[in-house]
Amino acid sequence: MGLGKKIADFIDVRLGVRDILEQNLTKYLLPRNINSWYTLGAVLLTLFALQIGTGILLLVYYTPTADGAFHSVQRIMNDIPFGWLIRTVHAVGANVIVLALLLHMLSVLFMGSYKPPRELTWVAGFLLLLLSLGMCLTGYLLPWSQLSFWATTVATSSSGEIPMIGDAVLRFLRGGATVGQATLGRFFALHVIGFPLLFGLLVSSHLFFVRRVGISKPPFGPDWRPTEPPKAFHHEEHPGGIPFFPHYVAKDGALVAFFLALLLAVVFFAPTLFFPPATFEPANPFVTPKGIKPEWYFLWAYQTLKIFPSEFLGLAVQGVAVTLLLVLPFLDRSPERRPVRRPLFVAVYLLGIAIFLALGVWGHYS
Amino acid sequence: MRRNRFRLLLAAWPLLFPLLAVPSFAQTAETVCIQCHGSQPGPLGAPVAAWRTSIHAANGISCHNCHGGDPTDMANAMNPARGFLGAPKENDIPAFCGRCHVGVKEDYLASAHGRALGHGGPQCVTCHTNHAVQKATPDLINSQSCSRCHDYGRAEQIKAAVVETDRRITEVDRSLADLHRTGIVTKEMEDELFSLRNRFHRIFHSVDVDKVRSQTADFQTELQKIQGHITAIEAQLQRRKVWGGVVVALLVCWGIVALLVFESYRKEK
Repeated sequence: MGLGKKIADFIDVRLGVRDILEQNLTKYLLPRNINSWYTLGAVLLTLFALQIGTGILLLVYYTPTADGAFHSVQRIMNDIPFGWLIRTVHAVGANVIVLALLLHMLSVLFMGSYKPPRELTWVAGFLLLLLSLGMCLTGYLLPWSQLSFWATTVATSSSGEIPMIGDAVLRFLRGGATVGQATLGRFFALHVIGFPLLFGLLVSSHLFFVRRVGISKPPFGPDWRPTEPPKAFHHEEHPGGIPFFPHYVAKDGALVAFFLALLLAVVFFAPTLFFPPATFEPANPFVTPKGIKPEWYFLWAYQTLKIFPSEFLGLAVQGVAVTLLLVLPFLDRSPERRPVRRPLFVAVYLLGIAIFLALGVWGHYS
Repeated sequence: MRRNRFRLLLAAWPLLFPLLAVPSFAQTAETVCIQCHGSQPGPLGAPVAAWRTSIHAANGISCHNCHGGDPTDMANAMNPARGFLGAPKENDIPAFCGRCHVGVKEDYLASAHGRALGHGGPQCVTCHTNHAVQKATPDLINSQSCSRCHDYGRAEQIKAAVVETDRRITEVDRSLADLHRTGIVTKEMEDELFSLRNRFHRIFHSVDVDKVRSQTADFQTELQKIQGHITAIEAQLQRRKVWGGVVVALLVCWGIVALLVFESYRKEK
């Protein structure tokens, strides 16, 4: 008997690990008609792990001070072995994560998987999307470049538009009247400790909810029928389904590989796709760079603020839209999940995507 | 009570949305010089439009950097007590521009052009114009411009001597900008090139053909050194792309194989 098996047996006798693995891998059955959209969870977990790994490596050389941040990032990009790769993967990875999160959210919306009894899964997932955007924003300041500085200056100034408490909120976010060392310290702490802790909690909750309630069956095929939400807890089983391991893990692996290929293709062949020229200039509070625009996923919001006569009104409209999405499972109580039987929802869904894209393109070229 | 609190929180949620910090990316205000002159018609406003097209504007050199004054205070923007100089008289122009372009001023003053200052000779704006000043190139030496005052022959010889080196300087400058755009630290090479370009451009102003020819070889050698560094970095970037291509291809292959494995499992039932 090999040493490895002896150790495995030792642990199994005490903790029953083989049984846990069996229940969650080979005996964990998924619906037979499960599709590729369900792999986005595994894709996102892989990308999150990549962000944590590259983030920790960046922390080794990054200096969170207004005097040293830009120089330390330049050093990472130019002097540290593979520093350019680690930093670019981290920065591009954030964009790919937002893309995967949006696709994940859109697929869940289309298939009505947010509906009872999966409201908590949806809320945790949607909060993860918002938190990811928050991490993108806090991470944006850390290189202390012209882009970082001015993007943060204008982003935080939006909070000053809140009636009565605007100034106090603005000062709280910046740690002073203007963006400076205090802001960098706050954003750094949030980016590397505060948000990741919250993020870990939300990811764990999301996964627990998914596993506890059971994977939702895709609402397609002749035998799918809407079911009333259960009155008591019920774990949705899929007898006769396909095992999670090795069957569906193979598909997860394929999509993870394609997403990593996309990420690395950008890193190696279009590394400046998400880096405008102001990214490579040190922060200068006295010179505003021309034509500064937010990242692609904030362009819809940027353009919305320009459409409305007052910035506060624009922010309030965005707030209402985000809130409606967050509480959607509590508003949409119909058990019907088949898209063909939900023409109004599908129309609003497509209109929403069209508005998001149109505002984004408009914002980019405006 | 608790229910009311919950309702209040729910109603306030959209108002708290700015805390999620969606960027508005507003523009900041310009100097008072530009605010005032930019809105005026005719000769008072024309310099602003001309300046916006200039190399000075591109490099962040604004009105007050040359004309002095206070760019933040409308009432005292043109107050001599705040350093306002106004527009220089024709004979003062070389000294006015020479506060920054020191080497060029020295060579110009020692040249036939400089010696003719005040006697119908050219000064800076004769060739470079004033507010719309562009990045200097050998194209400024042309028969149309030079023939306003004298025969083009000598100027043509100077142009022929500098044009190739200037072309190479422009090329190296472009390569450095491309590298900088990818996050490569090019500051040291940029400073070297900046210094080289300035030293090279100042010798035109001596309008001495022999001096220009004798120094061109030294500039070429310095340029080659910078070009050598650039070539080495570009080769390294190319190697990264090759390795990147291999990794991306392997990942795509992995994905395809994994899909095939999944398909074979699916057919297994």
